[in-house]
Amino acid sequence: MTTHFITAEIDLQESPVAMQQAIEAELQKRGQPLRWAVTDVNVEQQKAYVDAIVTSDVEISSSVATV
Amino acid sequence: MIQRPYTVLLIVPTGIGAAIGGYAGDALPVARAIAQVADCLITHPNVLNGAQLYWPLPNALYVEGYGLDQFAAGQWGLRSVHQNRVGLVLDQAIEPELRVRHLQAADATRATLGLNLTDYVVTDAPLGVELRTADSGATWGTIQNPDSLLRAVEKLITQAGAEAIAVVARFPDDTGSEALQQYRHGQGVDPLAGAEAVISHLVVRTFQIPCAHAPALSPLPIDPEISPRSAAEELGYTFLPCVLAGLSKAPQFVTQRSYASSESELWGDRVDAVVIPETACGGSAVLSFSQSQARIITVRENQTKMQVPPTVLGIKAIQVTSYLEAIGVLVAHRAGISPAALQPHIAPIRRLFV
Repeated sequence: MTTHFITAEIDLQESPVAMQQAIEAELQKRGQPLRWAVTDVNVEQQKAYVDAIVTSDVEISSSVATV
Repeated sequence: MIQRPYTVLLIVPTGIGAAIGGYAGDALPVARAIAQVADCLITHPNVLNGAQLYWPLPNALYVEGYGLDQFAAGQWGLRSVHQNRVGLVLDQAIEPELRVRHLQAADATRATLGLNLTDYVVTDAPLGVELRTADSGATWGTIQNPDSLLRAVEKLITQAGAEAIAVVARFPDDTGSEALQQYRHGQGVDPLAGAEAVISHLVVRTFQIPCAHAPALSPLPIDPEISPRSAAEELGYTFLPCVLAGLSKAPQFVTQRSYASSESELWGDRVDAVVIPETACGGSAVLSFSQSQARIITVRENQTKMQVPPTVLGIKAIQVTSYLEAIGVLVAHRAGISPAALQPHIAPIRRLFV
């Protein structure tokens, strides 16, 4: 197992529950989410910026994903 | 009919430079105050751990952050206990003298506090903790050998009967760094906190058992200018006592809800209020509770490096300036009094048209 820090840009959703689901769906693509938080929001661009730690059984790059 | 217990969740996220609670257990006075107006306070190690200092709160539940997120999402419940047998994991990278210091701290909690500890385990490889700071300003970290940590925990659970896990990992000494100097002077972000959360989250996610972490570090040179908010970490050789004290009565996690769940079980739908720094509303637990009946109370004075107030994510919240004001909101809510009724101007009631 390896631990990785990743960031992601997620489109703002219409509700907090939809936001949570969108974040977790994106992080699942990159590993098993361990800890995450939205760190900033750009209302004009309708983007939320997420820092996350994920675990993986394979090596993954620490990069930014845009959704 | 017996009134339902008034239950408050207090969150000060780790490693984001919270002005109150971002240092050495310096949100503990907030927790003590809220515990006086709540029947049950749920909070996490970052709030309650002050290295050598801690304060037993009979009505507080000490819940690690990953477990809190699961609790908030309704996936896990909390089952209160009278006592846990605490197992201790020591990183193989800890030097012999520093290891003795930690073992003596553990023995001290047995002899002086009466805590119940199992035998300890040393990991079969150095854990390899590395510290980083994200562009957001939050600290984080990785461990090179997470499997070694998990093997040690498994041994404590299966062979020693541990019911909660304290982990001591050797963290890098960074004596001359600007971040450490700022932290000791009550500014900036705790450089260790993000990596600590990774360690405890990993154990809780894997074993569904209470866990908390204390870093092992070489003693720092004396500094007469230490901030009171950071001073608790200058008192001794280890940060372990508060962790062992907290874990000794930490609630166990329940992963299946049954109709016959006992009174000692608590689930997220019993939370009445969540108190959080105003700019730190982007965590999983707050997003989960934003869809519940719980009041979200955000505290402006507790500034952080995050920039996520409740409004930008569509979270309905009661925004207050200080924790003193938040406590007033809690008291009013508990008493069934609208906070608006305590203000000088009250708008007249309006008609809704069908």
